[in-house]
Amino acid sequence: MVDDDQSVRRGLGRLFKSAGYAAETFASAEDYLAREIFEGPICLVLDVRMPGLNGLGLQETLEKRGACEQIVFITGHGDVSTATQAMKSGAIDFLTKPFDDVELIEAVKLAFERAKEQLHKRGERREARGRIEKLTPREFEVLRFVIMGLLNKQIAAELHTAEKTIKVHRGRVMQKLRVTSVPDLVRVSQRAGVSPAHNPHKTKIN
Amino acid sequence: MKTLATALGLTGLDSRSKTQRTDAQFFEWRVVGIALCVFVGYYLGAKIGFALTLRPHPVSVLWPPNSILLAALLLTPVRVWWVILLAAFPAHLAAQLQSNVPPAMILCWFISNSCEALIGAGCVRFLIDRPVRFDRLGNVGIFIFFAAFLGPFLSSFVDAAFVAINHFGGDSYWRVWRIRFTSNILAALTLVPLIVTWVADGIAWLWKIRQARFLEAALLLIALLSVNTIVFYKLGPSADSALLCLPVPFLIWAAVRFGSRGASAAICTLTFLAIWSAGHGYGPFSTRSAEENALSIQMFLIVMSVPLLLLAAVIEERGKGAMTLREREDRISLAAESANLVFWSINFERKESWMSDKGRAIFNFGPDEPLSRELFLSRVHPEDRDAVDEAIEHARAESQTFEIEYRLLRPDGDIRWLISRGRYVRNDRGGIRELIGVAIDITAQVEADLQLGLQREEMARMSRVSSMGELTASLAHELNQPLTAIASNAAAGRRLLAQGSPDPKMFKELLADVATDARRAGDIIHGIHHFVRKGEGTRCRVNLNEIVREVLRLLHSDLLGRGTAVETELAPNLPSVDADPVQLQQVLLNLLMNSLEAMNDTSAASRRVVISTTCQPNSSVAVSVRDYGSGLPADDADKVFTHFYSTKPNGMGMGLTIVRSIVEAHGGKLRAENVDEGARFFFTLPVTRKSETREVA
Repeated sequence: MVDDDQSVRRGLGRLFKSAGYAAETFASAEDYLAREIFEGPICLVLDVRMPGLNGLGLQETLEKRGACEQIVFITGHGDVSTATQAMKSGAIDFLTKPFDDVELIEAVKLAFERAKEQLHKRGERREARGRIEKLTPREFEVLRFVIMGLLNKQIAAELHTAEKTIKVHRGRVMQKLRVTSVPDLVRVSQRAGVSPAHNPHKTKIN
Repeated sequence: MKTLATALGLTGLDSRSKTQRTDAQFFEWRVVGIALCVFVGYYLGAKIGFALTLRPHPVSVLWPPNSILLAALLLTPVRVWWVILLAAFPAHLAAQLQSNVPPAMILCWFISNSCEALIGAGCVRFLIDRPVRFDRLGNVGIFIFFAAFLGPFLSSFVDAAFVAINHFGGDSYWRVWRIRFTSNILAALTLVPLIVTWVADGIAWLWKIRQARFLEAALLLIALLSVNTIVFYKLGPSADSALLCLPVPFLIWAAVRFGSRGASAAICTLTFLAIWSAGHGYGPFSTRSAEENALSIQMFLIVMSVPLLLLAAVIEERGKGAMTLREREDRISLAAESANLVFWSINFERKESWMSDKGRAIFNFGPDEPLSRELFLSRVHPEDRDAVDEAIEHARAESQTFEIEYRLLRPDGDIRWLISRGRYVRNDRGGIRELIGVAIDITAQVEADLQLGLQREEMARMSRVSSMGELTASLAHELNQPLTAIASNAAAGRRLLAQGSPDPKMFKELLADVATDARRAGDIIHGIHHFVRKGEGTRCRVNLNEIVREVLRLLHSDLLGRGTAVETELAPNLPSVDADPVQLQQVLLNLLMNSLEAMNDTSAASRRVVISTTCQPNSSVAVSVRDYGSGLPADDADKVFTHFYSTKPNGMGMGLTIVRSIVEAHGGKLRAENVDEGARFFFTLPVTRKSETREVA
């Protein structure tokens, strides 16, 4: 939780503790950024008005850092434009002080769910990427044509090589990515964010 | 007398002397009028002269034409003298041609007569630069010597020479000289004052005087005529010559009561009757030869008129002096009354004291009660008494002037504000002779100031309410902080209780925090209330650093919202000032808000306000608010302090005006100036003097 007001920090800290969360408090956005990055799910309860970097600024910075903190904004005086901006940038909720504790805890709970989800997704992607990184450039090229839906013959034509060679590459790709079917191959590629190859000769696909 | 003036046709001139006319105006009808008057006067004068001749003596006892000419010259500016001489010439011819005098002699006489008038009038004009009157001893002296004596004296040489050259008559040179001299002296002494005084302002004076005085004048004239008639007609030649002095009391009466006008008229009456009676063979001057009689009359009249003219001048001079003094006194007392001034003095040597009536009324002193410092102090308000006594004692010891402002407590409980100024006057030996002074009742002024202060206070309050209005959002934010903390703590407590595992130590802390935050919320509300409520304007010792901190607390949230950094450079050990803390908060708040507004277009990174307090060498403290905003209007930085000047679309333009009025009401000064990349507002307030105990209501 980041809030420049000590009373608020103490009060909210207690509330989170009573709700079973391990709460950590920071007096400013800069203090939070100075902390070493925590790998687990994080819900950031953030005050909008703060000296130095304000709430929205911190949100922006974190986004750039590529962290997966889920943010619940709290503000002493909420105006529509600030709230809209916060929500657009992916905030979980925007609460006006003083708020109902249940409302806050609900928002925090939701934030943790989202955070876990995201962490999970991120874990999968990382794992898929790890497998793909083992491919040689040629194999990667073949993969992109495979997930595009091209047959071995077509791939060979695209790469100006023998169909037999493509077959060998393909087998190695399947092996390295530890999949047995093409649909599985497509799923892993999607998780890793690999896009299908660009096809310059559309007519040949069918 | 009046008839004489009108008969001479000189009434047209009576207003001439009152206003200075320009040349252009003189060369209009007025000049023609003057010329006509001179012509008629000169001609009639000659006729009278002939009539007053003691036969068979060929020369007139009194020769008026020369005097009429002299009077005319004295009454007119030098520029028109030639007109007067030109007008007199035909009259001279007309009168003289009726006698058997050769034309050459007539011409010569005109020359000598003109010479006489010109010598007299020239000298008098040269020595007296104002219109010639007979109301000053000096003027009369100059007139008698130069016009009445020197003119005839010198011109008679010329005249006698002319007579000798023309072989006219059989008299010797010196005889002619003597006869003409005495005759012309008498004429100048009797006729010129009469004409000058009456033509100048005598006629107007006659219309102005009261009836009683008019009757007195008439009575005097009758008495004078009767006495003169008795003296010059009824007394036989053998009568006691001392009886000639019988008219003297009446002449003095005329001079004392009617000044130079009365004296000259009385002398003329005497002269006319004396000569007329002698001419007809009556009275004391008819016993000897015509020439001897003429000489006796002339001597008698000259001797009578000279002192009388001088006496009249002294009397008038004194009257005028007394009148001037009275006028000045009236003016001073009028000024004193209208300015609520009280004059007083205490003479220690003569054991006398004096105070103006109004002062005695104000101080509640009896009409003859002797004044003293103790008596005075007993009337002073007990709270001011020591300070007043100290100031007077200081003035006595240091021989300085004291000036004190204090209150009087009147028996009915009424309080009056006064300023007294006074000093001790020392005698030659260095001892104290006298204590003199003035006091001014400034109660009305003080009350007006008070009223003005109330109005200003009300204005300031409206401005504070309006400032609070602008800050509502920020204040709500500020108030929400402790409320959020309280709510969170309460919720946490509830949850902990529900979980059934309350840690007593933590609960204690929690409740303590709730209490602290509740108090904090209360303080904020109290601060707002304090800021907008109707102030009593009470002043106390205030530390400006404290005011800066309070205002920053009030603006805390607003500053965060604007993303503006406020830096403070507060001087340590800042002396306190005597001020109304709420109004000073307002001053600072308005200046800060003004600075923040000015930085609306400044990039977020460079938005900065620097507030500093400093101790000034002239025992005052200064507060400066410097921003990095759009700056002040370049043409006139002071414009921002004028009413209704605003750059804000919905601004009233009163904020800075009120700020200035508050600062000035505290005896301070507020200035604004452009500095690098922004503006600076700077105000000073006088430091509380150590001994100062006065509370300003």
